[in-house]
Amino acid sequence: RLLQVSKNYRSVIRACMEDMHQAATSTRDPALHSQYSTQVSILSAMELIWNLCEILFVEAAGAGPLLLRLLDWVRLHVCDVDSMVREVMSSENPAKHELFWNVVDIFVLQGRMDEARHLLSKEASANPTSVNMYKILDDLMKKMPVPGLGNTQTLTEMELKWQHWHEECQRYLQDGTFASNSHMESICKILLGDDDAILEKKELITTWYHFLVTRLLYSHPTVKPMELRMDLFLGRESSPESLDTILMAAFEFEMHQVIKECSIALSNWWFVAHLTDLLDHCKLLQSHNLYFGSNMREFLLLEYASGLFSHHSLWQLGVDYFDHCPEYGRVYLELHIERIPLNTEQKALKVLRICEQRQMHEQVRSICKIMAMKALRNNRLGSALSWSIRAKDAAFATLISDRFLKDYSERGCFSDLDLIDNLGPSMLLSDRLTFLGKYREFHRLYGEKRFSEAAKLLLLLMTAHIAPCSFWMTLLTDALPLLEQKEVIFSAEQTYELMRCLEDLTAGKSDKQKFQDDVETMKVEMLRLALARNLARVIVKEGTLEGS
Amino acid sequence: QVSVINTVDTSHEDMIHDAQMDYYGTRLATCSSDRSVKIFDVRNGGQILIADLRGHEGPVWQVAWAHPMYGNILASCSYDRKVIIWKEENGTWEKTYEYTGHDSSVNSVCWAPHDYGLILACGSSDGAISLLSYTGDGQWEVKKISNAHTIGCNAVSWAPAVVPGSLIEQPSGQKPNYIKRFASGGCDNLVKIWKEEDGQWKEEQKLEAHSDWVRDVAWAPSIGLPTSTIASCSQDGRVFIWTCDDASGSSWTPKLLHKFNDVVWHVSWSITANILAVSGGDNKVTLWKESVDGLWACISDVNKGQGGVSAVTEGQQNEQ
Repeated sequence: RLLQVSKNYRSVIRACMEDMHQAATSTRDPALHSQYSTQVSILSAMELIWNLCEILFVEAAGAGPLLLRLLDWVRLHVCDVDSMVREVMSSENPAKHELFWNVVDIFVLQGRMDEARHLLSKEASANPTSVNMYKILDDLMKKMPVPGLGNTQTLTEMELKWQHWHEECQRYLQDGTFASNSHMESICKILLGDDDAILEKKELITTWYHFLVTRLLYSHPTVKPMELRMDLFLGRESSPESLDTILMAAFEFEMHQVIKECSIALSNWWFVAHLTDLLDHCKLLQSHNLYFGSNMREFLLLEYASGLFSHHSLWQLGVDYFDHCPEYGRVYLELHIERIPLNTEQKALKVLRICEQRQMHEQVRSICKIMAMKALRNNRLGSALSWSIRAKDAAFATLISDRFLKDYSERGCFSDLDLIDNLGPSMLLSDRLTFLGKYREFHRLYGEKRFSEAAKLLLLLMTAHIAPCSFWMTLLTDALPLLEQKEVIFSAEQTYELMRCLEDLTAGKSDKQKFQDDVETMKVEMLRLALARNLARVIVKEGTLEGS
Repeated sequence: QVSVINTVDTSHEDMIHDAQMDYYGTRLATCSSDRSVKIFDVRNGGQILIADLRGHEGPVWQVAWAHPMYGNILASCSYDRKVIIWKEENGTWEKTYEYTGHDSSVNSVCWAPHDYGLILACGSSDGAISLLSYTGDGQWEVKKISNAHTIGCNAVSWAPAVVPGSLIEQPSGQKPNYIKRFASGGCDNLVKIWKEEDGQWKEEQKLEAHSDWVRDVAWAPSIGLPTSTIASCSQDGRVFIWTCDDASGSSWTPKLLHKFNDVVWHVSWSITANILAVSGGDNKVTLWKESVDGLWACISDVNKGQGGVSAVTEGQQNEQ
């Protein structure tokens, strides 16, 4: 199953490579073209490495199939062959094509016996003199034992068979069977695993790892994984490039080395993070404890995910990655998630949802506070209020409620009525907020002409001290229309209460203050008058009822 | 694998002493010897000048962004002995408070973790450290620690807010008991750690290792481990990493990060505290990371400035 995952990764890399390639060939801009081409080569190197790791580590191919896999690997990655092949095959007389023998050689070098034989047959039909030679060579190639090809023979059986075949090839060569045709002779030598013969074909082989596999094929086909040691290498003159070091480390089964070299060579954490994760799942990485207390897999994943967070939309992927880091993922997420710029409400809500799902209450509060502040600065009081309720920030809620009330006294109406009407239990967050909610309710009751209820509420707001003192005047003024109604609304007791409130309110002020504010004084006078009148009416009303 | 993402041409007329990214990495504030503080919008690799704040009468040494939940607030300190707090109101930046309680140059300002409220620490050449706390309605309360460092204080840095011993979620509405701490570095070659006890600030620790003036201190963000880490750099060219393993904060062990050839001016931590940026007179900014065996290794250096690099900030740094 893990093998399948590995294969998926590789197909993703290939797909990217294809896209890049398309982009590279379709662009006219030389700078872009070279950029894309570089990307393509990086991606193909990545796929090469991943493939090898898959063969050696994930699949952990055993002695028999190992070679086959390696052959596949080599075939897949030396693609110049195909164009050559096509050229030769599509020509009028393939056997006479100058590249003919190159193609045959390549087939042999890559262990593609059937295709080699097919081409050779063309040569034979074109060149009757070499028919005999061809028949022998063809036979040899047909009989070549290949390990792990679905046959059930054991390794020892296989080795024996191979030994026989090898000796047979040897005999033919020494008999001089192929002496007249240098090409065929060199093929025979290759079949015998002769290093020099193989080295002669250096230009066709191009890479050292190809050479390695070819050599193995013809000298030691039953190679076991652990035997792929450095001393099998030959012919590497130049100093190794990073790709070479990585591949060498892989052949030596030095997993940590592979990861380290890849980290250095590649500028992106994607490759190492995912490869390490896969290897970790295969239980191949011993827990190499880093100072941070976490293991290598987590370390790399954390690095990768942190990098994602600076992207305006990929940060969401980062969240998932952090979730899969058992030790530090949560902390890292907490630190990073607060730093995401909250340009839109939607983004803020998204971030909040992520925090709430993971019970990151601190972060939720912090983000809500930030949003509330932003809304307040933009004078969107309703929004600010709902954010501070969400943040359970009592102080801020009080501040905003005060703003609402101030707005009301200045303009005579409320903004964001919907919000205030539907506060529900969150009203209790702050006293001021409760007042705001209840006051609005008062207005609603009044609007619905439920006067007695409205009256009761109004009185309650003052007597229970829910209303701030500064607002009492406004409340009393609101009581005026109720007092002036044709029907008596306030009971005697309520009227007495109202009068008391009014006196409390005016008692504090000195006479001087009272006279300076004409409007104030007039209001107070009007109130006193209305209250007195109401009292008169209500006493009569109540008295009358009792009587009849 | 670390590369320069962007260069911002600030058109300051004189040396730039500090550059700080805001919380989200979308804005950059810079301050200079030309007495101005400039704010740029640096989203998507651009640089748009948002504000040019004038108000100081001498070179401005440092700027610091407050947590966004308090609005867009920036503090700046200068040779003119003033600390100015700027606020963005209705799209324009204005001075919202000016503190003149120091007798000489104010060298460093640092906002406390937002959990403590809106509190600013200021270190000055008169040896004192002031703590300005916003109490509401445009009012600020001042607490002063006199003679914090003899000769002068060059840097202040707050410890991250960690609630002591609480793994259980506290019922909402209750204010957790934070133990507030910050570190300061001074001309007495010392790094000191201050702790608030019963409303008073007391010197909790004295960290000695430098042989010359301490130029900057930076307390690393917390990643949940019980250890605390502080980075300090000095005129003696050394950068030390101090770690304290126990929660009571009583034994600090220094580790030498590196000895540079020139003065080291600033140190700054990345968000998750795994990378330390160091800038110095040798014209370089270097990034350091702790390796498996506990040794610090330099993971890059960027050699961009023409003159000495004197300020470093780690915002949203991407390693690609």
